[in-house]
Amino acid sequence: MTTAAEVPALVLDGVAVAYDRVTALDGITGTVAAGESVALIGPNGSGKSTLLKAVLGLVPLQAGSITVLGQSPETARRGVAYVPQQEALEAEFPISVSQVVVMGRYRRVGWVRRPGPADKAIADEALDRVGLSERAGDRFGTLSGGQRQRVLIARAIAQNARLLLLDEPFNGVDGTTQELLLGLLAELRGDGVAVVMSTHDLSIAQVACCDACVLNTRQVAFGPVDEALTAEHLHEAYGSNALVLVSDGPFPRA
Amino acid sequence: MTRLFIEPFQAGYLQRALIEAVMLGVLGGIIGVHVVLRRLEFMADALTHTVFPGMAAAFVVGGSLYVGALITGVLSAVLLTLLTRNRRVTSDAALAVLLTGFFSIGVILVSRSRSYTADLTTLLFGRVLAVDVAQIVATGLTGVVVLAVLWALHKELVLRAFDPEATAALGYSVTTLDLVLNVLITLVVVSAVRAVGSVLVIALLITPAAAAQLLVRRSVGRMMVVAAAIGVVGGWLGLVVSYEGSIHHGWRLASGGTIVLVLTVIFVLVLAATTALGAFRRRALLKEASLPGAARAVTA
Repeated sequence: MTTAAEVPALVLDGVAVAYDRVTALDGITGTVAAGESVALIGPNGSGKSTLLKAVLGLVPLQAGSITVLGQSPETARRGVAYVPQQEALEAEFPISVSQVVVMGRYRRVGWVRRPGPADKAIADEALDRVGLSERAGDRFGTLSGGQRQRVLIARAIAQNARLLLLDEPFNGVDGTTQELLLGLLAELRGDGVAVVMSTHDLSIAQVACCDACVLNTRQVAFGPVDEALTAEHLHEAYGSNALVLVSDGPFPRA
Repeated sequence: MTRLFIEPFQAGYLQRALIEAVMLGVLGGIIGVHVVLRRLEFMADALTHTVFPGMAAAFVVGGSLYVGALITGVLSAVLLTLLTRNRRVTSDAALAVLLTGFFSIGVILVSRSRSYTADLTTLLFGRVLAVDVAQIVATGLTGVVVLAVLWALHKELVLRAFDPEATAALGYSVTTLDLVLNVLITLVVVSAVRAVGSVLVIALLITPAAAAQLLVRRSVGRMMVVAAAIGVVGGWLGLVVSYEGSIHHGWRLASGGTIVLVLTVIFVLVLAATTALGAFRRRALLKEASLPGAARAVTA
């Protein structure tokens, strides 16, 4: 385990992805160390989701390479947790909160077998950590958006992931829950978990992350938030709309 | 009262029909939960049509209807899984093209037969009262296979139904899981189609599961138990009603149709009961919380 801190959580080297010969992502290069966090910033269709999928080894690379926890994306999956947008999950699905969290144990439990008492204890602990123990028996769909997001993060904790990939984690989340989520992510980073999140909220990116990757199919900037989130870079990624964002945004000017 | 529930099943053919209906109730109820949770109703309906040409072909050449249905059913399950992965064809369009294409082959084959109308009626509407021992054995064996696979893959299939993106992220092959489920659905459809016919078979899968979803809110496993129970009650009660109506009242109630009708009535009753209960609970909650001011706010 001593090597875990030394091996970067994620190394992207000239990553390019194409769907049906249309480039979806090009020239993404950067490193995320253990305990660090990166915000993926860009307009819709800029390749944020594609980049997350590439890190999971779910889309073939056209060029470049991805190293996750010192391994190929496919072999590293066990140590990587993907947190989908909670809005994408069916609220009517008959499943309890604790059942969702224990899903993080499934790969370790293996085929055919069911999660045992040890797995359930780990899941309970993870749920306790996100402060939702008292909702364990409730249906997942009865929780608020922010609470669902926390349950999905508890699932990632139960998975014992070293790299957390979050797709728009602050969508549909109110102000108070936002604070809770930010505190939770900071705590996880303190434990050495690396975080990559897609977001279109620049102020969140600044508070939640140390680095940012600005992209619009190709990489515009990758580095510390102050250097990456400049008016110039955002204008390049978003086009003329960026001017509006810049005049409202709290981030430093170029 | 006992006459009503025991008398029908003294005849051998009705005993066999009951065994078949109970087995199909369990199988349809359990696999139906996956169909409903995955919103595969249209795809399951397509499968009921694609087994038709296999049965028609078997009928024409005098082979086993079961084997004929199995061959075209599994073939179409594989085709459907692959077609719905193709981004250039929307999945509903793919299903519609495939199901009508397959069905038309069945129609062409059956219409070559001289006893066209009678044959078509059997294939479309089934004959649960004509079930023989071989058929019961086939349904039983199919059931064991289907339930064993569903049990073994329960947590993976539920995970895939709930959160497909996380399923792929964890390294499971979503396509393989889908293929397995689609083949299992096909096996149940093939077993049920001779009893209730290709038109009504979909009801055995959807109706009990849809009713169970109204009753069970927090566990897929429990939803399966309730759906299976509803399926069994529907099969048994449907046979009782059709026997009673036909023998003692001269109504001539078709057994397969009556089973489906009973299931539909159960669904409507469950829907009405849960809706009424929900409204009652909401009102009780409001009353509990209502200080005079709150009550005014609610009525306003």
